[in-house]
Amino acid sequence: MTDAARNFIETYERERAALPGAGLAWLGARRAEALKAFAEAGLPHRRLEDWRYTDLSRALGGATLSPAPLPDGAVVLPDAAKRASVAAFHDIDRHVIVFVNGRLRSDLSGTKLPAGVTLMSLGNALNSTWARPLVETKVEAQAGNVIALNTALMRDGIGLHIARGAKLDTPLHLLFLANDDGASHVRNLVRLEEGAEATIFETHLDAGARNYFVDHVTDVSLGKGAALTHVKIQDEAADAIHLASLTAELAASSKLSSFSLTLGAKLSRSQSFVTFRGEGAEAHVNGATALSGTQHGDHFCIVDHAVPNCSSRTLFKTVLDNASTGVFQGKVIVRPDAQKTDGRQMTNALLLSRDAAMNAKPELEIYADDVQCAHGSTIGELNREAIFYLRSRGIDEPTARQLLISAFLDDAFETVPHEAARDDLRKLAASWFERHREKTA
Amino acid sequence: MAAVRETVETVDQVASDKYKYGFSTDIESERAPIGLSEDTIRFISAKKEEPDWMLEWRLEAYRRWLTMEEPTWAKVSYPPIDFQNAYYYSAPKQSAKLNSLDEVDPKLLETYKKLGIPLVEQQLLAGVAVDAVFDSVSVVTTFKTKLAEAGVIFCPFSEAVREHPELVKKYLGSVVPTSDNYYATLNSAVFSDGSFVYIPPGVRCPMELSTYFRINEKQTGQFERTLIIADKGSYVSYLEGCTAPQRDENQLHAAVVELVAMDDAEIKYSTVQNWFPGDENGKGGIYNFVTKRGDCRGARSKISWTQVETGSAVTWKYPSCILRGDDSRGEFYSIAISNNYQQVDSGTKMIHLGRNTSSRIISKGIAAGRSSNTYRGLVSVHKKAENVRNFTQCDSLLIGPRCSAHTVPYIESKNPTAILEHEATTSKISEEQLFYCRQRGVPEEEAVALIVNGFCRDVLQQLPMEFAVEAQKLVGISLEGSVG
Amino acid sequence: MLEIKNLHVAVDGKEILKGIDLTVEAGKVHAIMGPNGSGKSTLSYVLAGRDGYEVTEGSVVYKGRDLLAMNVDERAAAGVFLAFQYPIEIPGVTTMTFLRTALNAQRKARGEDELDAPRFLKLVREKSKPLNVTDDMLKRALNVGFSGGEKKRAEILQMALLEPSLAILDETDSGLDIDALKVVAEGVNTLRSPERAMVVITHYQRLLDYIVPDVIHVLSKGRIVRTGGKELAGELERTGYAEFAA
Repeated sequence: MTDAARNFIETYERERAALPGAGLAWLGARRAEALKAFAEAGLPHRRLEDWRYTDLSRALGGATLSPAPLPDGAVVLPDAAKRASVAAFHDIDRHVIVFVNGRLRSDLSGTKLPAGVTLMSLGNALNSTWARPLVETKVEAQAGNVIALNTALMRDGIGLHIARGAKLDTPLHLLFLANDDGASHVRNLVRLEEGAEATIFETHLDAGARNYFVDHVTDVSLGKGAALTHVKIQDEAADAIHLASLTAELAASSKLSSFSLTLGAKLSRSQSFVTFRGEGAEAHVNGATALSGTQHGDHFCIVDHAVPNCSSRTLFKTVLDNASTGVFQGKVIVRPDAQKTDGRQMTNALLLSRDAAMNAKPELEIYADDVQCAHGSTIGELNREAIFYLRSRGIDEPTARQLLISAFLDDAFETVPHEAARDDLRKLAASWFERHREKTA
Repeated sequence: MAAVRETVETVDQVASDKYKYGFSTDIESERAPIGLSEDTIRFISAKKEEPDWMLEWRLEAYRRWLTMEEPTWAKVSYPPIDFQNAYYYSAPKQSAKLNSLDEVDPKLLETYKKLGIPLVEQQLLAGVAVDAVFDSVSVVTTFKTKLAEAGVIFCPFSEAVREHPELVKKYLGSVVPTSDNYYATLNSAVFSDGSFVYIPPGVRCPMELSTYFRINEKQTGQFERTLIIADKGSYVSYLEGCTAPQRDENQLHAAVVELVAMDDAEIKYSTVQNWFPGDENGKGGIYNFVTKRGDCRGARSKISWTQVETGSAVTWKYPSCILRGDDSRGEFYSIAISNNYQQVDSGTKMIHLGRNTSSRIISKGIAAGRSSNTYRGLVSVHKKAENVRNFTQCDSLLIGPRCSAHTVPYIESKNPTAILEHEATTSKISEEQLFYCRQRGVPEEEAVALIVNGFCRDVLQQLPMEFAVEAQKLVGISLEGSVG
Repeated sequence: MLEIKNLHVAVDGKEILKGIDLTVEAGKVHAIMGPNGSGKSTLSYVLAGRDGYEVTEGSVVYKGRDLLAMNVDERAAAGVFLAFQYPIEIPGVTTMTFLRTALNAQRKARGEDELDAPRFLKLVREKSKPLNVTDDMLKRALNVGFSGGEKKRAEILQMALLEPSLAILDETDSGLDIDALKVVAEGVNTLRSPERAMVVITHYQRLLDYIVPDVIHVLSKGRIVRTGGKELAGELERTGYAEFAA
């Protein structure tokens, strides 16, 4: 076992009595079981098929893994002029909830929410009957399933429950700031009852911390006809390690739209596990990644068509500069009898530099015949003829490149249903070029 | 069926009886004792009258194999193989000779007839004793003069070891090293025979070379080894046909094929594989664990694999290309059909090392019955490989609700100038298409064959004409009983 | 040739045809007109034998045989041809291959010799020419990437080649401009013969200006509500289907 893995186990032994929901027998058993699964498997490494391009075990070897302290004193936000992600979603009317070092800082009672919408801390959520199935249904025996680590150590987070037919009036914006080095284990639980609707934004960025580890899990359960839009921006510090998992269970006719923009962290892994439980549901799992330096960004996405008549769309766009590495591992599973499935997956990568590398593994696993499934993958550089064409019209090369890269990423942004959020993502991408151009100039 | 089995069992009995007397004093016996040991390997080597270096090479492989573990990553499942309960050498002379076609399983003959194989060849394929002229080696002999005039060497592997040791020593294991993988290593230790081809510089091989008839050597055929070297500027088209169903219970077939293409050389390797797939209930059939790899060693060289895989209970096979030479090109065209309980895990690897190398992958998987059909492929671009191009198209067709089709591509690029494109689709034969064909008077099974052949067209076009016709018929036969 | 008596047909448990009586004699062209949803296509599919069309009552006798007892390809071999409203694409199978497979399958079913390649080729060329079906079309995969007009011409070519006794043309005019319509209609007209019966299904009267029927039936809500001569088409053109929809 690695030091990092041992460190987590020790944290659990030391702090389990103080973790939220410590008094709940079912949860205690759940945490113990999850820890056991984690202890047996250890941290994932490249010999595991699902982790063949990302060595988390090794990356955590040099990270500060003791629990990040409870923040005290003022948290200084980065300058929005330099870090555009600070200002993302600002112009949108929304409810803002702030986390620092993975600990909830906002007073939730101050948030005015419409009837039927309940927002609570993870501790309170774990005491609610609706939350238990979200934490309980995960099978963690699978090798390398890091969700077990989070289940054992989850320390804070929110629970969002929306009653039947109710709607969250404006988006809920969860702002995660890292102020001190250390590890944080956040768990968010989201349950939308029949016909409920919500939009959630997430921003993850550093505000003082350098060397830290974010272990973040969001569990989503959508009732019949419910609809959730989830937009996430990850812009962590250059030495940070960001590990995030989204699990979603979709009842009949429900709709999930998830988008994740990856800009930061030394190493990031963003996992999505979407399972269809009822017919006529629809899932969009999309993302865009822009990396430079020696950054490593991995998107791992499994869409499980367990029932007939559902449709899924996945589009991931990756732009890699300098010596950065991008990874996309995706899988569409169509279970026996999940007829009339429509599952599509596309991943495109642009390598901007001689030292950049991309690994893609888009998989189809099909056990039913009356289905329409397809995937595609392209890896290449910017179209030289297109650059030449633009230059021949008087556009200088950096601008030409930026235009083409923007156009490349724009297909992914197009999938975000929230218009204002889409515009913010575009601005962020543009600022990435700016920042990046200055660095490389 | 019964008649054949009985005969085979009788032969087995005879061989086992001989074992009682110990093989060391009975070196003349036609079959090695059951099981695998250094002694078995020495026995095989002695039988083949091999030089010491060849024996040492085998033994080294064997010792390494003992330390290896069977791979489990493929999407196939089968009961553990008892490697000690198999024969690793059996001379062809001892194959069960039947006296006439009347003794052959009628089902088998029906298949041959559908394939349009002439009567004498039917007899040959069925293992009926016919005039020795039709023995595969003799068939080769008839062309030998013509090939010799061109300087082409085409002979059994064992003969090459004796007659052309310098070539064998130089190239054997240079593409698939003895340590490569579990089955290849096993093959290196126990391979019985196979083909050796050498095309001298600048020579365009005057005819297509084929191992079509070698199926007659049934009981030594499970571990063949093929080595083809196309020297500078040469060309060869090689056909490998395994069109005879085997009759035994789950038998292991672990072949190794190595191709070497020097500057400007081209090798076209076509396979129609129809080993016994097991019966409708998944009983019996061949475990086909084959390592095929080509090395585009020279600049502007080209290796093209075309395969039509319809047989075997389990297939584990990834004909690959190492694109080492600048401007070299690799191609993989595949049709893999699985029906009943067959399991296929097949695909290719295109390793781009040289500049301006290109590759093209067209894979058509057809799954029916309760079968499982997986495409697994790797396209890898190394850092110094400039201007690489790859295009991959993987299409799966499912027939019936109980089969499965999987696509597992690995696409890895470390060079920005590479352009890699991969597409995959999964679909079924639509009711509309079937209805349309049948409305025009085409019976259902024929309609299925027609539509599937259309689906496979891009690959069928790559096969030499006479093979293509046979393959088309095979597509129909393989899918019999899959609809209705 | 064809005798339909009290035919009731249900699709997914819903009755679409509610007692059709129709007799078509050899040499005659019958047109079946009707608004959308009247059951026109259902009638053509049930005659061709498509799955999912359940005959709940009635009978269909074709050339003295029980048509409903025959499967799809048997009906085809016995001379029943359906020109599809939306011809199906079959990727990878060239039109030429398809034509030969179909023709030889039918010949074989009838106990005739299969045509060898040269004879077949000659026949196809001969039939293609008047329909303006080029060699290029014959080499392309069947209906894949064909324009609307090309698809319909390919249908008529199949009909010309297979020489059916009973041809059912389902909305053959849909998606055709006037020039394409003329080519197709002419192709159909040359196939009219004393031995052959035709059932032309159409929504619009336009097609019947070019393929002049002997009898016109109006189908509405699963029943034939009116039968008359070719002049009925003109009447419908003026009044529309409204009076039948009531």
